[in-house]
Parts: sequence; structure tokens; C-alpha cells
Amino acid sequence: MSTRQDNLKYLFTRIISIFLLLLVWGTIRAQVAADTTAAPDTVAAPHKEIGSRQLVFSADIVNPIRNMLTTSQTGYEFGMDYYTHGELYLVAEGGWGDSKVAYNDLNYTTKNQFLRFGFNKILLPRENATDWGGLFMGLRLGGANITRTAASYSVIDSVWGNSSGALSGKSFNAFWMEITAGVRVELVKGLLAGWNLRGKFLLNGKSFNDLSPLYIAGYGRGDKNAVFDFNFYLSYAIRWKRNEKATEPKK
Amino acid sequence: MTKPRKNISFCLLLATVVACSGLFSCNQERQPCLVPKTASLNIECVHFAADTATTTIDTALPNAIFGALTNGGLKSVVYTTASALFTISLSPLADSCSWLVLTDSTYSTPPDTLNFYYTRQLQFLSNACGYTYFYTLSSATTTHNHIDSVLITNPSVTNNVNTTRQLEIFIHPNY
Repeated sequence: MSTRQDNLKYLFTRIISIFLLLLVWGTIRAQVAADTTAAPDTVAAPHKEIGSRQLVFSADIVNPIRNMLTTSQTGYEFGMDYYTHGELYLVAEGGWGDSKVAYNDLNYTTKNQFLRFGFNKILLPRENATDWGGLFMGLRLGGANITRTAASYSVIDSVWGNSSGALSGKSFNAFWMEITAGVRVELVKGLLAGWNLRGKFLLNGKSFNDLSPLYIAGYGRGDKNAVFDFNFYLSYAIRWKRNEKATEPKK
Repeated sequence: MTKPRKNISFCLLLATVVACSGLFSCNQERQPCLVPKTASLNIECVHFAADTATTTIDTALPNAIFGALTNGGLKSVVYTTASALFTISLSPLADSCSWLVLTDSTYSTPPDTLNFYYTRQLQFLSNACGYTYFYTLSSATTTHNHIDSVLITNPSVTNNVNTTRQLEIFIHPNY
């Protein structure tokens, strides 16, 4: 593919990612504004956070299903989130995976671990202390450490004849940004289920385009600058009482 | 969660599970390669409109034959319709290669030999396409049976289908 086309694609994905970023940020700002600017003529009552503290541990069940259906890649993802305040959850996710490329003209394997950090913002405010589900949007910053074995390749040429060669193994890092949206509901007390749709944008794809990995666990196809992904999580929540101190509302 | 919100969320959850169950129903195969896997050298045959002219016009070769001089022998491409534009490839096995050019296969005249000298760059296209070679032309020479001279107009030989010609072949005025 031409350098010009690559540059245009790169520019396009950057513009889309910035636009989506602004969209998420605008949604969150609007939500916060709606929460804090209600009834301007009256003196706002001190805001009291509803409910208790919550720490949620999640396991993704989409990747194990994918692992059973494909032979070229495996991946596992786990996550945890912590409710801070104002419908904001701090999120940390991690996992590992590998891929195996065994084509007649390309052979190598990769392994990687990854971490993602970010936040989720519930779009509809909670109405009571037992209300722990809802629609959310969020942002993540992800990073993966990838180890690739030596790769062998063949260049197939029907006129001049085939040639082959090898690349030595190496370790490198991939970084990406994610915009995510999803739903989570509480099935029974403490047990939650939910899905995430993720748009992912690779930030340093050019640094390993000598041989982009077939699959980066946590990201997806390593030779794409933008990918979409889907997770379905089963989660367990640990809750404890919040310190009952009222806080002044934001102005 | 209040009851209406809970109902909406449950419906969304169920709809997604049903919709996505089809997403993983097939084994992952190698993705199709959607770009050319071989770098193309585009050639345009031209001649000067008059002895004193500075502009060129295309020269359609009626029954041209382009033959690659490979280690395994001559591999020819026969063009059965008249054309001034041709596409050939360079050898990934060496830094030079030769093509025979017969401007009209109905004539019993000796062919011309085009020699190309270049540097190779190994290029990863994608996991779907694998590797190929891109080239940078250093020089090109020719014999002069029907060809007057050759001119490299763009030294970069890649798989970009939008690239215009890289080489002009000036056909002999007596052709």
C-alpha cells in the first residue's frame, strides 16, 4: 500500500479518534453539568453520595470462546473497577495472549501481556443505593509488551522465482487508546454481567511495521491502526459502607 | 437500578448476546490479501512527434513481446493488442535483471535488451499478504534495434497501483 494512502489512513483514524474523544468528553461534561446545575434559583442542598463503596472484579468470557474457535490466537482478559464518586469508576484491566502464524510464506509466533487504565462514566445517574448498573462510556490507555520469535518468510514470484529469509526475534511495546461504551446489570446481589464495545486506536503502529503481529492480546490485529472489539464480562462486586460525610455540590 | 432502566439494560444485554453469538461462529482463516503482492514497473513507449519536437506522443506497439531473462530461461508475455503501456516486474533475487523487448512479433527483427540496475527493499505488506520487495531504480540501459533510448521518470517501484509510469522507452524514429 502506498505511503500516501497510509498517511491518509493514519490521519483519518487520528481525526476520528479525536472526534470520538471530544464526543465522550462532551457527553461527560454535559452529564456533570446537568447533575450540578439543576434548580439554579434554589440553594442547592449538600450533595450526598448515594450508596456504598464498590470494587468489582471482572472476567471476560468472549476471549475464552474465541480461543476455542480459533487455532491462531489465544487471549484472556480480566478487569477491576472502583467506584469513586459522581458516577465515575476507575478501571484497570489486564491479560495475556499469544498468536501463531503458520502460513506457507510467513511463520512466527508472538506472546504478550497487556494493561489498560482509564475510567467509565455512568450516563444515567443512580437513583438509589442499590442501583449499580447502567449504560456507560469510558476511555482507556493501553499498553502491551510483545515478544516475537524469529520469523521466516518467502517472497513468492512466479516470474523470477521465490526467495526466502528470516528476521530475528525481538521484544517491543504497543500503545493504544480506547473509547468504550457498554451496559452492566446486576443479576443477583453482587453478581453483575455486562458488555463493552471498544474502538481502539494504535498510537505507535509505525514503530513495528517491519512485521506487525497478527494479534495483540488486549488490542486485536496488530497490522491495523484502528480496530473494534467486544467483551462480555461476568463480574463480582465487593461493597462496603461509605463514610457518611456530606460534600458541598460543585458549582 | 429503577425498574424501567433495569428493563432497558436487560433488553440491551440480551439483544447483544444474541447478535454477537453469530460473530464467533467461524474459525479464523487468513485474511484475503487486497493489495498487489508484486511491485510493478510501468513502462510507456513514446516517440518524438518530429525531429525538432520536444514533446512526445505515445507509440502503440502492435504485437509486443516482453520476455524476462530468468535463471530458468526466457519467460515471455505476449501482448496481442496494440498498446503503449506495459507492466513488468524486477527480479527479487538480484540487484539487476534483463528483459527482451520485441516491438512487433510479426517482424523477424532481433529484439532489444533492457537492463535494469536497482536496489531492493524488503517490505512487509500485512499478515494477509506477507512480504514483497520494493525497488529503487539506479539506471537502465538498452540495445538500439528499435529502441532509441530509455528514461527513468520515477525510480520508485512499489505495489502502488496509482503510480504512473516509471520508465519511458523512446522508440527509434525509423520504427
